[in-house]
Amino acid sequence: MRELELYFGPQHLGMVGNFSITLNVEGDRILKATANPGYLHRGFEKLMEGRTWIKNFPMVCRINVVEPDHMEMVYAMGVEKLAGIEVPERAQFVRSIYLELARVGSHLFGLWAYANMLGFDTVANWAMYHRDLVLDLFEELTGGRVYHIYIWPGGVRRDFPEGFTDRMVETLHSIGGCVPDYDSTFFNNTLFSERAKGIGVVSREEAVAMGGTGQAIRATGMKYDVRKVDPYAAYDKVAWEVHTREDADAYSRIWIVRDEMIESVHMIFNLIDAMPEGEVYNRIPNPLKWRIPAGETYVRCESSRGELGLYLVSDGGEKPYRVHFRTPSYSHGLTILEKALVGANIADVGNIMISLYVVAPEIDR
Amino acid sequence: MTSSLSTRLDATFKGVELGSGDDDRLAVSIPREAVVPVLTFLKEEGYDYLQLISCVDWIDRGEFELVYLLSFYTEDEVGGDGGKQDVLLKTTVPREQASAPTAIGVFAIAEPHEREIHELYGIHFEGHPRLTPLLLDRDYEIPPFRKDFDTKQYVADVFDRVPPVEEEG
Amino acid sequence: MDRNQLMKWIKTPTKMAHKYSLNAVYFCTGCGIIEVPPTITTRWDAERFGVVATATPRHANLFLITGYVSVKTLRAIIRTYEQMPEPKYTVGFGSCTINGGMYWDSYNTINQLDKYIPVDGYIAGCMPRPEAIFIAVTHLWTLIDKDMADGYKRYRKNYGAYRANQEMVLGELEWPPLFPTEIHTNTGEGETDATAATPTMTEREKDDELA
Ligand code: SF4
Repeated sequence: MRELELYFGPQHLGMVGNFSITLNVEGDRILKATANPGYLHRGFEKLMEGRTWIKNFPMVCRINVVEPDHMEMVYAMGVEKLAGIEVPERAQFVRSIYLELARVGSHLFGLWAYANMLGFDTVANWAMYHRDLVLDLFEELTGGRVYHIYIWPGGVRRDFPEGFTDRMVETLHSIGGCVPDYDSTFFNNTLFSERAKGIGVVSREEAVAMGGTGQAIRATGMKYDVRKVDPYAAYDKVAWEVHTREDADAYSRIWIVRDEMIESVHMIFNLIDAMPEGEVYNRIPNPLKWRIPAGETYVRCESSRGELGLYLVSDGGEKPYRVHFRTPSYSHGLTILEKALVGANIADVGNIMISLYVVAPEIDR
Repeated sequence: MTSSLSTRLDATFKGVELGSGDDDRLAVSIPREAVVPVLTFLKEEGYDYLQLISCVDWIDRGEFELVYLLSFYTEDEVGGDGGKQDVLLKTTVPREQASAPTAIGVFAIAEPHEREIHELYGIHFEGHPRLTPLLLDRDYEIPPFRKDFDTKQYVADVFDRVPPVEEEG
Repeated sequence: MDRNQLMKWIKTPTKMAHKYSLNAVYFCTGCGIIEVPPTITTRWDAERFGVVATATPRHANLFLITGYVSVKTLRAIIRTYEQMPEPKYTVGFGSCTINGGMYWDSYNTINQLDKYIPVDGYIAGCMPRPEAIFIAVTHLWTLIDKDMADGYKRYRKNYGAYRANQEMVLGELEWPPLFPTEIHTNTGEGETDATAATPTMTEREKDDELA
């Protein structure tokens, strides 16, 4: 049969995000896949070198539009570590709650993309609606729907407004009440399992060799989660579990997404109960003239797709000397995806890509 | 455990400088030629996870610094294997004719990282199978992440020079 | 159907049809795309306004350019735009399309979109809310009514200038020009006037002289 070269994306219905893959196919079997990123490259890390430490906060969240909050968090962690700033106890809890809420929102977005791609329009609409409810909470807390710029070095911008925790619990309960519906229409649906089982298998050896994190590694049965391995914020103060599966395919990864969402909601409830009173913010020096001692550091946190890291270098000036983000989609989208697509069917490209949770702006930065 | 790692590193390789790094990471400086052997050694020591390859342009010193951040996959909570530290491996490359050996043979994930550094800093990686453009579409005279590349000047020269398309009133 | 609009439907049926069936190309050009899924799903439901997402540019007449445009994406945007059948409308979503937004000094994003393709309207904001999309759509209706959403006509008319700008940034384009690049007098929609194809002055010079 003749070998063809196909361009998948950037303008393509099966493509979520501005990303492109060149596929060499024979019939509808993929012989070779070449990821072609860069459609969203803005040179963030260079631009950040030209802005002061504090001015970079509105920048960093725009690196990943699906989940801006973990970007803020990892940058704040880096700045705090270099400058030696302490974060009050209550702010740690507020941050954790906020990040878990972001994780729920991001997973719902992922579920929308996945269900939409498989043709489960009802489930996609539910997921998007429920995500909007989460965004409403963010809007109340921070004033922005998508970009929040809530985390600052030294804590968070403001404490929870009055009655916010109650409304948050109520919203999360109403979303959680729909889990049986999601299960019966989607997760336990044979259409879903037929379509996803055995698709896009990434074995543990492959995932380890290619720097896989997040669902990609947890779907192979390894309990690797930065929140456990290298705890930050208040993740070591409450009890929670890492969810894993054994089959390493798209089906396992999407089930992990579901389990993690439920775990996050439970974790939020626990965090709210354990939250101490107090300040949420330690004053930092005048941010407009803020110099941070020379040094370098690598900090990491667990975003909803895997390990998000930041290598930060300061030369003692008012601006960062070098910023480099290690984003989870980078390894998932460039090496693992190219590997997992070989031998797959064309119809499964979107399936594999979304189940690996590849978010294009994160790769390009 | 950690002290033994640093002593073993010191004993096995010439020119290894151990820094303290920050609290939970062992900083190691090595000459450029030793990158691949040291990475192989560390991989055998259980560092199976290359988090990041980064590059810093120290223009005053006239050199690039390549930074390899190594960690390990673990299932243990907090602290991993009895306080086993992550490693931050550094090597320097002169700015003129910058080139370094590729680490793909040891870690497959090095491939896109090195491709990106090649594109953004202009460092050549010997033995890398595809140093084709990854992110950029245009050619830049100076690779854009070098410190002497002035983005504002570039924008003024290229994008601001494009004339608006005139509209009739 | 609104009874007040009955006369409009009888007089200008095509215009009304274009207004109420805006098929948007599904192309995620920048971070603004994150507000499009909520807009087209149940919560905000853009279909009330006749806006639906379409898989291929060949079936679309609305191009929402959602945010910053990197050089590599510009190439894809131009190709997509040129594939859309006329009449087609472009809306720039977010401040990045207006003046570069927060990436004004980035070496890889073009700052003003309307130097490269014609834009019929902008939605300001860094991330505009879904409501803003609906305001833009209703504005676009007014513009279509008044024949002011004429970006595609301007593209045809000033194609030479647009293409020259595109080539300034992208280098030699690998596809042939969509229209004749020498500038000609436009005699209305869709017509190319062959006799006026060799002007002594370019359109731009003429305008300069008038000004
Ligand atoms: S205007 Fe703001 S939200 Fe829109 S693309 Fe630009 S940075 Fe992103």
